[in-house]
Amino acid sequence: MLTLKNLPWRNLKGYAGRTAALLLFAALMAVAVFGGTMMIGGVRNGLDTVKSRLGADIMVTPESAKNEFDAQTVLLKTEPGYFYMDASVVDEIRSIEGVEAASPQLFLASAKAGCCSARLQMIAFDPATDFTIQPWIEDTRLSGNLGLLDVIIGSNVSWASAASDNLIRFYDTECNVVGQFAPTGSTLDSAVYMNFDTCKALIQACREKGMFKYEKLDADAIVSSVMIRVAPGYDSEVVADAIRDKVDGVSVATATNMVSGIADSLNHISGTIAALIVAFWLLGMLMTVLLFTLMMNARKREFASLRAMGASRGILSGIVVREALTVNLLGGAIGVLLTGVILFSFNRLIGESLGAGFVLPPVPMTALLAAAALISVILATVVSAWITVHKVNTMDASLVLKEGE
Amino acid sequence: MKLTAQSVKKDFPRASKSSNYFTAVQTLDFALESGKMVEITGRSGSGKSTLLNMLAGMLTPTSGKVFLDDTDLYALDEKSLARLRNEKIGLIPQGHTALLSLTVLENVLLPAILYNRQNPPVDRAKALLMDVGLEALMTAKPNELSGGELRRMAIARAMLMRPSILLADEPTAGLDNENTLAVLGLLRKAADEGAGVLLVTHENEAAQFADEVYVMDSGKLSTQ
Repeated sequence: MLTLKNLPWRNLKGYAGRTAALLLFAALMAVAVFGGTMMIGGVRNGLDTVKSRLGADIMVTPESAKNEFDAQTVLLKTEPGYFYMDASVVDEIRSIEGVEAASPQLFLASAKAGCCSARLQMIAFDPATDFTIQPWIEDTRLSGNLGLLDVIIGSNVSWASAASDNLIRFYDTECNVVGQFAPTGSTLDSAVYMNFDTCKALIQACREKGMFKYEKLDADAIVSSVMIRVAPGYDSEVVADAIRDKVDGVSVATATNMVSGIADSLNHISGTIAALIVAFWLLGMLMTVLLFTLMMNARKREFASLRAMGASRGILSGIVVREALTVNLLGGAIGVLLTGVILFSFNRLIGESLGAGFVLPPVPMTALLAAAALISVILATVVSAWITVHKVNTMDASLVLKEGE
Repeated sequence: MKLTAQSVKKDFPRASKSSNYFTAVQTLDFALESGKMVEITGRSGSGKSTLLNMLAGMLTPTSGKVFLDDTDLYALDEKSLARLRNEKIGLIPQGHTALLSLTVLENVLLPAILYNRQNPPVDRAKALLMDVGLEALMTAKPNELSGGELRRMAIARAMLMRPSILLADEPTAGLDNENTLAVLGLLRKAADEGAGVLLVTHENEAAQFADEVYVMDSGKLSTQ
């Protein structure tokens, strides 16, 4: 049954072509605002996550590994690899002023066809001194006490293809997968984490297969990297310089260096996306206003007829505003929904395309951004409806009706 | 119920700067009583529709007053005037005035839903459509109707709220003889049922349906 409340909806249904165009532009505005802010938020979130997961102020690696390890890109793209230096550097580093904690890590890479479709980076930590991976394990609510041949896999390590019955095989050695980390949007997601004993056992297995490229090294006397936490009140760069001066044969990178690649991408992406948001929103609003103005001209006899029937200006305004709100909110919701589905389905691909760490914002933030996108669409509604309402209310209905058909 | 115009006059500003305004309706008095059908005829541009719109509360006179019984229409605020027009005055404007997204029956029901009445008078709308010979087209959309059928639909819509006053602006323009007579007959019937009917038209045949005939020429109203 026809009512004043459903009259706007009936009008929208009656002008299907115009309504479809309005839906499209409202959806476009929502996609631009929601998609754009989610992308910026995703890259920013990725940067924050990587910073927190890196957990160290300084990372020391062998100078000889320069070809395999680039501090500025290692978190974004790197081939799994391994390199070593003498374990004595750990004590040398600990003796430097400003170093509060130093914990060694040991690296290995899986064989290409050993377990998975691609090679995996293995990162081992020293449970006694580690301050980077164990907090991550605790945050993920996993047991911090990894036993021999227990591993935790990064979020990008495909569980289905990598594991069967919670087992993953490296160099014919079966390891227990005891958990999987949440994504960080960095290469940390493609690694397998274990303690030193497990890594040493895998180095031995690798060696036995003749695949270990450093045959003469003693696995008990080597480390791949040293993660350093700087004492409060000390500058990371100053401490890094001190390490460079006093420890031979090492390459020193600060966390700032390591995330600078992501930070640069963030700045670049944020600027581009912000410009696109503004451009698409303005285009969407312009088209919405244009369509509403055209609608007003096409339907001015309808509005004048309603005046003749006794509709007050308030009633006509209500009809126009409800039409605008209905179509724009529906279009906005479609845009938000589509964007959400695409972002959540292809977030990894998007991160790779952007060349930056990409972690989608958490649900409450996503909901806030979706609401902001809808509010931006409502803003366009207000502008377009105001222009139309103004025209409807200032037109001379008697003159419009006298003009004939 | 009586619709009265007292010394109403309407000036419109001119587009050119050489003179300030032109007078569409010279100062005049006019009255329309219940049960009477009054015709105003005259050439195009003589001021007939302007007078009708002032009587309908759609166009504020430059001077003078319009009363519906004791109510001064233009002393009311916009909302009250619109409400009064909805309840007491049935206006049949020139040309096609249908909402294209609604069916014929819904178009006729429109005046009843503007102020959220709980139960729109569907039976009355159907009866009116039957009276105007459109019962078979109730569910049709306006773009399926001929010009004559649209006019008859507009008459049914104007009569839905049982208005005391019915104002029809060229309701037979462009219609064939058969439709013209049908429309004029409907307006006569409304007058016979108690409404005051004002008919603005060029049609010669209209005079035989009217109780009084006025002629409008250059904004001046005179009896024929």
